[in-house]
Amino acid sequence: MSVEAQQGIATPRIPAGLGGLLPALILIGLFFVVPVLTLLLRSVTDPAPGLQNYAALLGDGTYARVFFNTFLVAAVVTIVTVLVAFPVAWMLAIMPPALASILFGIIILSMWTNLLTRTYAWMVLLQRTGVINRALMGAGIIDQPLPLINNLTGVTIGMVYIMLPFMILPLVGTLRAIDPMTLRAAALCGASPLAAFRRILLPLSLPGIAAGGLMVFVMSLGYFVTPALLGGTSNMMLAEMIAQMIQSLLNWGLGSAAAFILLVVTMALYALQLRLVGSKRVAGGA
Amino acid sequence: MTQSFLSIRKLRKAFGAFTAVHDVTLDIPKGEFLTFLGPSGSGKSTTLYAIAGFQDPTAGDVLLQGKSLLSVPSHKRNIGMVFQRYTLFPHLSVAENVAFPLRVRRRPDAEVKRKVADMLALVRLENFAERLPTALSGGQQQRVALARALAYDPPILLMDEPLSALDKKLREEIQAEIRRIHRETGVTILYVTHDQEEALHLSDRIALFRDGRIEQIGTGEDLYLRPATDFVAGFIGNSNFLAAEHLETVGGASTIRLADGALVSGINANGSFARGQKTRLMIRPEAFRLERSPNSAELVVEIVDVAFYGERRRIVARTSAGQEIDIRPTSSALAAQDVATCRRPVFFDPGAAFLFPA
Repeated sequence: MSVEAQQGIATPRIPAGLGGLLPALILIGLFFVVPVLTLLLRSVTDPAPGLQNYAALLGDGTYARVFFNTFLVAAVVTIVTVLVAFPVAWMLAIMPPALASILFGIIILSMWTNLLTRTYAWMVLLQRTGVINRALMGAGIIDQPLPLINNLTGVTIGMVYIMLPFMILPLVGTLRAIDPMTLRAAALCGASPLAAFRRILLPLSLPGIAAGGLMVFVMSLGYFVTPALLGGTSNMMLAEMIAQMIQSLLNWGLGSAAAFILLVVTMALYALQLRLVGSKRVAGGA
Repeated sequence: MTQSFLSIRKLRKAFGAFTAVHDVTLDIPKGEFLTFLGPSGSGKSTTLYAIAGFQDPTAGDVLLQGKSLLSVPSHKRNIGMVFQRYTLFPHLSVAENVAFPLRVRRRPDAEVKRKVADMLALVRLENFAERLPTALSGGQQQRVALARALAYDPPILLMDEPLSALDKKLREEIQAEIRRIHRETGVTILYVTHDQEEALHLSDRIALFRDGRIEQIGTGEDLYLRPATDFVAGFIGNSNFLAAEHLETVGGASTIRLADGALVSGINANGSFARGQKTRLMIRPEAFRLERSPNSAELVVEIVDVAFYGERRRIVARTSAGQEIDIRPTSSALAAQDVATCRRPVFFDPGAAFLFPA
């Protein structure tokens, strides 16, 4: 009811708001829409007019492998991030506000720390003679160092770590909107903790999971630094491939086509989610 | 000793240094409608939560048909509960909300369907089965919550201030529904409220809580007509307290001297008083009469204000000691011309007045 009231008040202000949008629209137009169009143009004109760049990308087994690998990493990272973020978000949602804001501070602080620093830190931890392998061997749990780096495992660990805040923040918003009394009511109705989770908490938190999941998945699709440092050569991701095509091979046409495919896929995913969850829920996180 | 249906034994709940419930003991027969009444923070909700299993008591026990509930987790206690806030599952339809307790019990579909129909008929919401809770009014949501809490035939129904979020008219309407449902189902109800009128309307018995203890337990009439303490007298109904000096008590009837020097005999004493002890005399506003009758005591007052309240008038008067009192005679007892400010005697039956320590 309050949402309707707010919309009612906001409606007359929209014409004035459009004028205020102008600087942002000009900025996005000049520095996003124009370059994207240039990119599109290049992908169909360089080196010669035609769709040969797309044909090469989609027809070649090596490139297809990179696409597959990119989606695999993004999917694995998204799933693992959801699994790790959910209990954290739930604790943040139900703990006393003072304690929750301290933990929020820590999470935000990790986002502000330089990405390269954090990724190099993971290299130190994960390598064959790294802290984790030495600790596990010292404890007698393993005999041989685990291959934790330069493979899918390393990329997943490093990226989940970086993506966690993007999953936790929208999820906390959704979970906070759930009245804990609802779960008590479910318990008295006879629902075991597992049943209450499956039938009540999970369905009610789906919009938050969807919003955070989309953000993590889309960001992971185009991620460069972490896969480049923690991943192996055998599982290259799309962003690395684009960088290689443009920097090393100077093949602007092929690189542009790959970047454009990535953009189209991302926008298609977003459109799909809008249809499935509803625009209000994605934007509002609740 | 005969075994009671639900028994609360010396229940104690402490939060750190603060003790919310002090050794509360209660026996509740099957089918009773018992209300926990009291101001906020008096321990009534804490006691209810211990029965629901949301809070583990510090000491004491809760027995249902002789078996302790304390080691049983909430979801296995088989207790129904309606909460203060609307706790319907927002993603499920009205019918699925009511079906929820049956679905988690894995009852066959046909039974679930029949039971949901019965329950929605009981709360008169048959036509709302497919709606989402957000499309219902607050009163309708609480009726669905009631249907959900009764769907699995729980032996006890707990209600934690279920009507406090509703407006007065709706509250009275649902009170009538709750009475009817109690009559039709025979379920044992424990009802928490801070609203004394609600408690009087609904309950078979009322347990009046104060500072974590039960101050008095009895029927509404017991508490209203025979309050054990001045707290009970002050909490249930309206009361006037007049300063008085105790002179003597013979056979439960006290003689006192009021502040204006008038002597009154035949007062109900609660406890024993010393000669000359400062006491407070409690008189209900409607116990005052404007006409003298045999045995009535007299109090000379100055009329300050008269308001018309339909079936009664409300008179604010001031005693000669300067204390304002509330008098509510029936409207016919006072003609319109008497409304003017004046000094006059008012009368009360000493048997309907109570003496408490000051």
